[in-house]
Amino acid sequence: MAAPLVLVVLVAVTLRAALYRSSLAAFISERVEVASPLSAWKRVVEGLALLDLGVSPYSGAIFHETPLIIYLFHFLIEYAELVFMVSASGNLWSFSLVQFKKQKLLIELDKYAPDVAELIRTPMEMHYIPLKVALFYLLNPYTVMSCVAKSTCAINNTVIAFFILATIKGSAFLSAVFLALATYQSLYPVTLFAPALLYLLQRQFIPIKPKSKSFWLYTMQYAALYLCSLVVIICLSFFLLNSWDFIPSVYGFILSVPDLTPNIGLFWYFFAEMFEHFSLFFVCVFQINVFFYTIPLAVKLKEHPVFFMFVQLAIISIFKSYPTVGDVALYMAFLPVWSHLYRFLRNIFILSCVLIVCSLLFPVLWHLWIYAGSANSNFYYAITLTFNIGQILLISDYFYAFLRREYYLTHGLHLTRQDGTEAMLVLK
Amino acid sequence: MAAALSAAALLLGCCGAALASGVQDQAEQFFRSGHTNNWAVLVCTSRFWFNYRHVANTLSVYRSVKRLGIPDSHIVLMLADDMACNPRNPKPATVFSHKNMELNVYGDDVEVDYRSYEVTVENFLRVLTGRIPPSTPRSKRLLSDDRSNILIYMTGHGGNGFLKFQDSEEITNVELADAFEQMWQKRRYNELLFIIDTCQGASMYERFYSPNIMALASSQVGEDSLSHQPDLGIGVHLMDRYTFYVLEFLEEIHPASQTNMNDLFQVCPKSLCVSTPGHRTDLFQRDPQNVLITDFFGSVRKVEITTETISLDRDLAGFENELPKDELATEPLKYADQLPVAQIIHQKPKQKDWHPPGGFILGLWALIIMVFFKTYGIKHMKHIF
Repeated sequence: MAAPLVLVVLVAVTLRAALYRSSLAAFISERVEVASPLSAWKRVVEGLALLDLGVSPYSGAIFHETPLIIYLFHFLIEYAELVFMVSASGNLWSFSLVQFKKQKLLIELDKYAPDVAELIRTPMEMHYIPLKVALFYLLNPYTVMSCVAKSTCAINNTVIAFFILATIKGSAFLSAVFLALATYQSLYPVTLFAPALLYLLQRQFIPIKPKSKSFWLYTMQYAALYLCSLVVIICLSFFLLNSWDFIPSVYGFILSVPDLTPNIGLFWYFFAEMFEHFSLFFVCVFQINVFFYTIPLAVKLKEHPVFFMFVQLAIISIFKSYPTVGDVALYMAFLPVWSHLYRFLRNIFILSCVLIVCSLLFPVLWHLWIYAGSANSNFYYAITLTFNIGQILLISDYFYAFLRREYYLTHGLHLTRQDGTEAMLVLK
Repeated sequence: MAAALSAAALLLGCCGAALASGVQDQAEQFFRSGHTNNWAVLVCTSRFWFNYRHVANTLSVYRSVKRLGIPDSHIVLMLADDMACNPRNPKPATVFSHKNMELNVYGDDVEVDYRSYEVTVENFLRVLTGRIPPSTPRSKRLLSDDRSNILIYMTGHGGNGFLKFQDSEEITNVELADAFEQMWQKRRYNELLFIIDTCQGASMYERFYSPNIMALASSQVGEDSLSHQPDLGIGVHLMDRYTFYVLEFLEEIHPASQTNMNDLFQVCPKSLCVSTPGHRTDLFQRDPQNVLITDFFGSVRKVEITTETISLDRDLAGFENELPKDELATEPLKYADQLPVAQIIHQKPKQKDWHPPGGFILGLWALIIMVFFKTYGIKHMKHIF
């Protein structure tokens, strides 16, 4: 297990190092799909330069990173490439240590119908999942581009990966700390609070009933841990620059979306052509969209918090205000974990084609719009829309496949109606 | 220039010959004003038939200036020039400046240098500062030097701080002041007289900061300049009040007049002009009492004819200090202080390295260590290490 992992790491590091030294690095780091106003490396350098000149980096509208990033890169700015490679491998290491679902299967084996043996995953299969996840993450072109562009999205991803590791390992304290760090970094991981809580409750064998006291107790504990660490981290960042400037610059920026540079998200086009009068309303609508799906998903997926976490990650990276391909790469790394759902996926071929074609068309249409002048923003937004639709359909496909498998697990693989004829399972 | 040189030569000869001091006194008068040539820039910034009076204003001043000796080659005349041949003009090819069509200021020999759409803010500023494309003909250039006295007359529609050009753009008082400063720094004038006849004209000279500028305006800030008289035959007002009275005043000037600027300041009192004319002399080095009208409005060549033989003397040193002291500024004029370039280019930016405050580092690492020790005790962490 260690040897293939090391090989993968070596290949990934070589690939990134080769790309860093080539001329592609400059080209990639300017792509809007990879570098958003929140995560661009140029802005980090600018902010640190401003700091050296004695000006607060938050005084303009350039720098939107948190103070901890300032602290991290202040000393490591010459070694930036190494930092990103290390964070990528940190990611990888945490993924590789996650052993999903092992306990759950053993517990619930007796609940399943007899003929679903083929649906259950064998330990052999499960053994290779970490390697596959590692491969998916490190060699994903999205991750490579994001790393070469030195986008701080990689750091986001690392923190979220550590959070997932801590949650799966069952340590409420560490998971709360990492979740607080992830929320502090970019606001949206606060929605991962629900799946993490559900998982930890499940792990402690606390049933999820509103009336049970132990449920509330644990929830309060976890929430308290999370909120305290968040407050501590925010207060600590105050002491870096002795000002609260970073709060409107970071969180105000994420929530109010003032910068409308095109990216692979859904916000920019809408707000570029909207009247001022309505912009507050639509900002609220769009932001609620990100946070809202947590509730129905929590209700539906309360027995399956890991899948919930995956879906939630995907929703964050689709609906967040400044997505980049690095965010997409994060949830795509988890796809091998659900490779057993493959037989239930209905549209996987079309969706993978859509995603690949859209990714290839992004630079083409950008060139046509910005440089050739023969296209306009509608073209680029069309591709963005298609890409996001592809992602949404991918997630919903996996969701459907997951639910279907669960149904089969409890009701048997060959469904029969009351009169004995074969039945089909339909999603209503 | 040649006249001045010959005058200087004569003077030297006179000094050197140590003749009667009468010649000496007369010689000193030669250099009283310090200029050797005169230029005029006359600008009418309006177009359209109903702004007839602005064109008539400008052309009247042009006539007076030509009469007093400034040749066309030293006049830059900028007009929209759509009056004389305007279809609404009942007397084509004429522009009258007085009721009853007494005075046709257009005539046969008017030379308009910038006409119609060429009268723009950009061209005006280029003329003043001399930053003209190389293909511009001589007649369109202001080829003044540091011994030139320039008369600048502007008329049109204006407001507080700006002057409207051709109904589509404006020039502000700041731009004008900066243009004059450029002229000063490039030694393009010796003294400058700026006359403006527009509404709120005094605002245009408020911002001047270059030396040797005298300015007159037809109205103060907040007042409108009014027009003088309509002509029922032509159907429009023919002139503005201020310029009308200035021209009446100038009609009495001839090249040998000794009338000075203080008289010009008295022209057109409030009873006649309705608006209050203003003037500004604080930037001017000489006392307006000693400034002749012909120093600006005419081109008076100073020639002294003598029948005595004069031998030229090489000794110039004594002569150069003989400048009348009461009329010069107490401190010698110098061109604007250049930036301390030597100091700037050798200055390195101060490298102040920012360090995160100690409290922050301490707090952060304390937290990290606390988290580490808290989890270290938990059983499953052992698997990681």
